[in-house]
Amino acid sequence: MNGIYLSRLPWSGKVFCTLYLLGIGCGALAAFTQAATAIGLSPAEVQASLAPAMPMTHMSPGQMMGEKEITLGEISSAAKVWIRTPLLIQTSHTHLFGQTLIAGLLGLIFLFSSLREWAKALVLALPFVGTLVDIGGMWLTRFVWPGLSVLVIVGGSLFALGYALITVISLWQLWIGTVVRTSGIRGAGAPPSEASL
Amino acid sequence: MTRRMLGSLGAVVAGAVMLAGVASAHITPPVVLMSDRDAVVALLAGAQRFFVREVRLSPAEQAVIKRQTGWTPDEDFYRFYLGRDGQGRLVAGTIFVTEFTIHGPVRVAVSLGPDGKVRGAAVVELTEETYPWVKPLIDLDFARDYAGQDSRGHFHLSDRLGSLEAMPQFYGQVISGLIQRAALLFELGVLRRGDAS
Repeated sequence: MNGIYLSRLPWSGKVFCTLYLLGIGCGALAAFTQAATAIGLSPAEVQASLAPAMPMTHMSPGQMMGEKEITLGEISSAAKVWIRTPLLIQTSHTHLFGQTLIAGLLGLIFLFSSLREWAKALVLALPFVGTLVDIGGMWLTRFVWPGLSVLVIVGGSLFALGYALITVISLWQLWIGTVVRTSGIRGAGAPPSEASL
Repeated sequence: MTRRMLGSLGAVVAGAVMLAGVASAHITPPVVLMSDRDAVVALLAGAQRFFVREVRLSPAEQAVIKRQTGWTPDEDFYRFYLGRDGQGRLVAGTIFVTEFTIHGPVRVAVSLGPDGKVRGAAVVELTEETYPWVKPLIDLDFARDYAGQDSRGHFHLSDRLGSLEAMPQFYGQVISGLIQRAALLFELGVLRRGDAS
């Protein structure tokens, strides 16, 4: 971009980008592990954490009280986090800021890769879209339909896919790839783009 | 030109990292100390049969809670786990109550006897950040200071805890407030509505 490419960055730039990408990777692995242990990774587990409290007593709307005998087996034995609306607000606020800033920094590095424009735009959009689908899915699961918990998994996967592609391509171009000129943009007067091998 | 652009890039990255730090500093990951089932089993010791009672608070009941504690219930749906003996007499009830602090949620299980008095309480979930502040309180078994008190009791930190630092003191007050709320909710949701036994 504008004559600056990852493969041509000075050593300090390459070290910075590499350590940032690796650091975010470690953070992503920790976040994945935390999500797996505190919430779970299946749509059913996400739904159990996010969906509104479903009465165990089959209370009908408008009914003020219900009671029934249960066995201890009916009480959740898994030490799981139950995300209610105030926590959902807190989670949304921190994750939308945090993940969008991470996606922004990943995208910023990736802007200096030498892919074709459409491919670059597609890949760098993935973490942003993943974040919105992830957090949006949480709200939709809680307030629209519990079955939409699958969106939380899809959003997280999109974020992870975007991070993986950005990291692999960027590290390749930072340390291994060489820049060759290609004609990536059609149209008269369009400047030639460059692609990395 | 290139040096200026790299400088601008560095400034943007530094600003974004600072913002990300600020954004992610609010809430740390959850720490689940006990599953719901373990808490119910521990707090309803002596019960032979288990029941779940679910209530919706009426506006009048919510007003009573607001007047007595200054707290406005964030939900109108509450679940109690009731333990009864072989003859169906109420042994105790347990309710889970949560305060959403700026550092994240603190969730407490509180057990109450048929006279509406606190039998015991256990912190079941908090966050990484709050855990070191609450752990000294847990180690001192501070919740036993509230045993035997009903919703009109004094829910202050006792002198036996010694001089606590500011944050443990703050969270001690948060948790004692939760225990009082639980006592009031039990009174309204179980005792005043009549025991099904």
